[in-house]
Amino acid sequence: MGAASSASWLIARQSVRFVLRERTVALLSFMFVLLVLISAWLGWSATTTVNCIYLDAAAFLKSAGQPVPTNPVLDISPLSLLRNMSVYVALIGALSAIVIGNRLVSLDRKAGVLPLIGIRMAGHHAYAGGKITALTGLILGLAAVAGVVAVATFLVLPAITLTGMQWVQLAGFMAITTLYMAIFGLVGLASGATARSETVGLLLPVTLWLTLTFIFPQLTANLNPTAAINPISALTIPPDTSFFHWAARILGPFSLADAYKFAAAGLLDYLPPGLASPSFVPPVVSLTLAACVALTLAWRALTQLSMTEGEDNA
Amino acid sequence: MPDGASTPVRIIAAKDIRDALRDRFILIVTGFLGIAALVALVTGAIALRGDVATYAAAKASLLALGKSADAIKAPEFYPLRLLRGAIEQTEIIGAAIAILIGYRSAASERGRQTLALMLTRPMLRWQFVAGKALAGISLLAGGLALVLGGLALLLHLMSGVGLTADDLLRIAVVWAMAVAYTACFFLVSFILSLHMKHPSHALLLAFAVWLVLVLVAPQIGDTLDPDNQVAGGVFKQLNIAKPDQTRIMQDFATFETLRDGIEQASVTKHFERFTFAVLGIKAKYAGLPLGPILQEMLGNLIWILLTALGLGALALALPLNPDRLAKA
Repeated sequence: MGAASSASWLIARQSVRFVLRERTVALLSFMFVLLVLISAWLGWSATTTVNCIYLDAAAFLKSAGQPVPTNPVLDISPLSLLRNMSVYVALIGALSAIVIGNRLVSLDRKAGVLPLIGIRMAGHHAYAGGKITALTGLILGLAAVAGVVAVATFLVLPAITLTGMQWVQLAGFMAITTLYMAIFGLVGLASGATARSETVGLLLPVTLWLTLTFIFPQLTANLNPTAAINPISALTIPPDTSFFHWAARILGPFSLADAYKFAAAGLLDYLPPGLASPSFVPPVVSLTLAACVALTLAWRALTQLSMTEGEDNA
Repeated sequence: MPDGASTPVRIIAAKDIRDALRDRFILIVTGFLGIAALVALVTGAIALRGDVATYAAAKASLLALGKSADAIKAPEFYPLRLLRGAIEQTEIIGAAIAILIGYRSAASERGRQTLALMLTRPMLRWQFVAGKALAGISLLAGGLALVLGGLALLLHLMSGVGLTADDLLRIAVVWAMAVAYTACFFLVSFILSLHMKHPSHALLLAFAVWLVLVLVAPQIGDTLDPDNQVAGGVFKQLNIAKPDQTRIMQDFATFETLRDGIEQASVTKHFERFTFAVLGIKAKYAGLPLGPILQEMLGNLIWILLTALGLGALALALPLNPDRLAKA
């Protein structure tokens, strides 16, 4: 048992080093970090602009003798400054996780080291454990960078103070963000281990990601793809027809991008009042169940991986 | 002489198309785009039917109360507007498919170790590249024709009013632009996969370009739109009329220029603006004749065509290095 866990640890460490040397992984991770930074700027810039527009509009309404409504910015929680981060996690965070998951296995297959690992005493379980540990570590690393940017944003921006509850909500958002990326990373791992070629191993999870991000929201809420990647437009009431009611009921629990969107909006305080996920399964439960399924798939794929084959036939 | 020069191009293109049709990849990806576009069309139609039913019920209630129905606005019905979701799916999934076709087109010869062999034949290297590119773009054109043709047929049958010759012409214009737009992504992926040491790295880099141009740049522009910051729109919440909105926004000209500049940097946004205008999806173009719309959208059209032509020229101009193109 001790030998297996130390072998797992060894495989995890070696895999992390191997993957971090990959320029494509570095490029996608860099893009993710850059977009997380941009999301913080976007939130600040957009909120400041709306505030300025309000001041202009209020002056205009006052001069016209019309009543001045309350400033919509005052109704916005400071946490919602980070609303764009949820979009970038759903886009590039998930894609980076898929690539990391895929590379963790495909690099071994390509390098032809599987038969060498196969003759060691540790066996399949240590290999699977090591790969999943490596994936978890890498995704936690990405999430940690996003978390640091988020915390720094709130500490640096003047006139913004979060309550204790809001810090807890921010921690909750980072937790579901990690969970969401882990789901796609595990699917990438499973697909990389089972697919006949490196390319197919990458394309299968990407197709799943495209389906969940752009097709399911259309079925559950008639949400067009460009609206689906806008944090505000994506939160809309589905058309009041029996088709959408049933679609939300049947597909809702599987519509992971929707689940993440609603969970993130709830935790970052930008979910419009009265609006809730149309699925009968709460978003966080959907995401947790999906992570369990993805973990099972990855474990099965890795423990059943043939250790007798060398380079794949990509 | 021109015939002699074009023969290897045609032979390579015909062989590539035969290969692509023999394995099911092209059919699968076209089917995937078709499903995505069909879902968009059907859900859009169901939502519109819901709007019509709600309007009819509200109108009946008002009439039953002896009031005028003028107070409520009837839902507008332009059949081509139902293509909005399908156009957006083409923007995103169509471009991703183009990247995959470009990758396969370049990687197939490398995977089979046949590239060096092909280059020993009596043909110029640009003919090889042109043949491959012609095949890939033809496959994209065929797939898009199938998808848009199928949607047009469905729209004709289910819209209740049928499509006119003008509608079909607009769909044909959109198809031509969709081919040019997806060709840009095909060429990016093709060039990278043909020249980078590892084709799998090229594929990922092409997807990184796709992420930035298709999803991130338009999303940033859209997000920075002040009207997208507050649910329902900031001006609607402040009860500001359209002319006053324009006056207020004049004070934010620099912000708007920056926002527009980010959007304009993406070929996707040009494709979206062009197609939304031609199909009348953007309200101000609904019901306008095609000629003036094309005139107004000339800048977007030129941008898309120049991007495709520029990438095509780059693909032909870059020297192939067979020593570098072993299976990687």
